[in-house]
This record gives sequence, structure tokens and C-alpha cells, in this order.
Amino acid sequence: MSGAAGPGPPVGPGRSPLPCAPRPAAALQLSGGTEPTRPGVAVIDLRFPRGAAADVSAAWGGTVQEIVFKNFYTAFLSVRVQRPGPGGSRRWVTCLRDMCLMPCPHTEQGAQDYFSLHRNQMLCDMDQVTAVRFILRQPSPVWLQFTIEELQIFPTGQKSPQTDLPSWLSQLTPPEQPASLHGELPDPEKVSTEVQQMWVLTEVIRTRQAAARIGRFDVDGCYDVNLLSYT
Amino acid sequence: MAAYEKRRPGTAPSGGQAAGSEAEFLLRAGVTAMVREALLKVLEARPEEPVSFLADYFERLVLGDAAAEPAGPPQRLARALWYVSLAPHSHRTAFDSNTGAAYEVLGGGGGGRRRAAGVDGRLYSELLRSICQHGEAPAEAAAALLRRVRCRDHEAVPFDVFRYGVLTCFVLLEFAAKADALFAVLDGGSGAADARVCQAVLRALEEALGSGHFTQPRRYLEAGSRLGPDGLALAMDRALQERKLSGSTSREEFLKKATALFVAKVKPVE
Repeated sequence: MSGAAGPGPPVGPGRSPLPCAPRPAAALQLSGGTEPTRPGVAVIDLRFPRGAAADVSAAWGGTVQEIVFKNFYTAFLSVRVQRPGPGGSRRWVTCLRDMCLMPCPHTEQGAQDYFSLHRNQMLCDMDQVTAVRFILRQPSPVWLQFTIEELQIFPTGQKSPQTDLPSWLSQLTPPEQPASLHGELPDPEKVSTEVQQMWVLTEVIRTRQAAARIGRFDVDGCYDVNLLSYT
Repeated sequence: MAAYEKRRPGTAPSGGQAAGSEAEFLLRAGVTAMVREALLKVLEARPEEPVSFLADYFERLVLGDAAAEPAGPPQRLARALWYVSLAPHSHRTAFDSNTGAAYEVLGGGGGGRRRAAGVDGRLYSELLRSICQHGEAPAEAAAALLRRVRCRDHEAVPFDVFRYGVLTCFVLLEFAAKADALFAVLDGGSGAADARVCQAVLRALEEALGSGHFTQPRRYLEAGSRLGPDGLALAMDRALQERKLSGSTSREEFLKKATALFVAKVKPVE
């Protein structure tokens, strides 16, 4: 799970993110500089534990379905993934180039929004992924820090289980009407009107209740257990 | 009427002040307020014959004003009954204010006595019974409803309970009328409807009412889809295709079953 404190973004039912521990964003350092500068570029590396104890990652085929995170004043985001290239070596491929998270880097808009990146939006195939690298850019000097939080990566293969659809939802688009309705049926429209009005009347009564109670069985405290025990 | 004539002042007012003094006269005589009240009552009640309604109203007004001592329980009962039947229960504010007036009258506070006796259970039960009789509710349903909302004879009835009981009676009357109309549709003019169809419709209604106590908006959506024309047509069709021997239901039986569904949902007074 991501290391963020706080409630976290809403996860769909039945989806569990891959266990990964992102290290805090490492700022780009220009060689030779002595004073700490704020370069405006940060990198977050994620490595997936291979053969780890978690069943999810062990069974994980390396396909990434979706990446969900919460922005914290990052203006542009690029994502690179490490995939096995030809010849067995692993190489880095850019799957998302300079996605704009904040339309104006100096202002607040989009600064703390939740984002979700689906594999369809990526430039390359997200199969057999062994590592993910997030490159954050924030050119504006206004913000002291920038990062992304609550990072969650969802693999494919986990379909959100069909939540129990209430039966009436599945009846909204009914199967073809039986062509031969019994000829002697009373008019359904009129029946339905009347029945619905009856339902409304019953609902009105059922939700109303006398606010004041008669208090038929209330006692005024003289039958308190403590008092009774003394008599 | 002699009681309402006022002596005109001796000197006739000059022509220029005629309009002003007429309005003042009406105001002094209390006519403005009275006519406004009467008009409000007519608007709330919307009777089919406004003239007889107004005549009735003014007559009661006179009787009420002229009575030196507050009337005994039967008259108070009649008056309260008239008050609550003025506005239909769906006009909630009008109905509430009329019920308030009826409560006062029944409690004996409207006659100017210094101590109002309040409404006790006996008067309350009698009022409810006369409402049901007046509206010709099916007897069994009325009795079952009264059993649920009744108060013992010796208990003092607070206004909320009183309003709840009266409202429930009126809603029962309207429900019975609707059930009657539904039966008229189901039987298609003949006196008896197919028992299977009636049962299917009532079962659909019962399921839509459900047994839970949730007030989620989802329940309304669910009920709407169950009780829509499509759903009902399918249910009725399925019922008719069953091979069981079908009998026929008479109007009274249908009404009895339908109102039993309603009464089962009424929360008892405790």
C-alpha cells in the first residue's frame, strides 16, 4: 500500500492496489552546486518486489491497469516504465510524456486533485512492467515543495466483482415483452396509476409518526432499580 | 340580523369622506375579518357547492357566537368533525390549522371557559369513529385502524397524537377510495375480478412497500420500477398463465385485503 497517511483516494470495490513503497521524491541535483537549489524536477521510483510474500504481486503478470494518485502541487508529470526489451535486457520506455496536472503552475487549480491514469492513455504497452518512474516537474517558484501522494497501482486481472445489483435495476430494460399478452388483461397503465397512488398514501402514513408519545407505559422514575432496592 | 345591526351615527358624513367611512365601518363591524376568514376557508376546502358551504359556515359561526355556554360533547364533536373535514389532508397546512381548531373545540377551550378540559381518549376515539363512518370506510379496516391508533379512555391526548390519528383516518378513506377505483379497473365493468390478477397486483404492492424501515431514495426508485405498467403487466400475465383454478374476487374482499395492507403499515400509538 502507498505510504500516505490519511484516508486515501476511493478505491473501487474489489480492487486492491499493488503493495509498493514509494520513496519520497528525490529532487534532481545539478552536479557542482553547493547550495541547495530548488530545481523544480523530482523523481519517484517504484520497484515492485519480485517474488514477494504478497500473493498479489506473485500472481501479478506485470500488467498495469491503472495508476491513481493525489497531486500535491506538481505541474507536469511524465511516467516511464521499465520493461524487458529485445534480447532480454530491460530498458526504460516513456509511457506518459509531460501530462499537465496544473493548467497554470502558479495557481492552485489542479494542485490537490486526484488523478487516474488508465493503460489506454499510455503511449506504450504496460505489460511486464518491473519498475515505474514518475518524473515530476514544477517550474513555478511559488511552491516550496511538490510531490504526488497516495500513489496506488492497480494490476489487471482483478475485475471488480459484480456487486449485487438490486433486482429492480436489472428489470429496467426488460426482456422483450411477451408478444402474446393474455387478452383479458386489464389496462396496465390505469392499474399502475392507481397502485402507485395507493403506494404513495401508504408511504405517507408509514413515514409519519406521532412525535409526541402518549407515554402509556412511562413511569416517572419512582420505579428506579436503585430506589426499589431500598424498599 | 338584529344582533349585527349597528346604529349609524346621527350626523351623516359628508360626501368627500364617504369612501373612507365605509371602509372604517366595515372594519369596526368586524366584517372584513369575517369575510376574509370565510374566503380562506372556501379556498382551502374547494367545495363543489360553494354557496351551501358558505351558508353552512356562517350558520355555524352564528351558533358558535350566540351560545353562551360551550356546547356539550355531542355538539363539540359535530363541530370538530366539521372542522377537520374542511380541507383535504393533502393540503397539509390547511389541514393542520383545521385540526388545531378542532382540537381546541373538542377540548372545550373554544367556548371561552377559563379552564379547557382537554381532549381525552374517549372523545378522540369517538371523533375518529365518526370520521370513518362519515367517509364510509370499510368497517373492518376502520376497526383495525382504530385499534392501532386508539388511546385509552382516561388518557389525555396530546395534539400530535390527535393530528396523527385524524390524518391516518383520512388517508385510510382516500386509500379505500383508490382501492375501489383499482378494483373497477381490474374487473372491467363486471362485478368480480379474476382472483389471480388481484392477488398478483396486491402482491406487487406489498413487495414494493417492503418490510424495512429505510427511507432511502432507492426505495422510491425500486417501487417505481416494480409498480410501473411494464412490471405490473408482466406480473399479471404471469399470474394468468398459472394453471391453478381461478376464482373471482368480489369488491368487498379486494377492499378488505388492500386496506389490510395499509393498516399493517400504520405505526401504533404507544
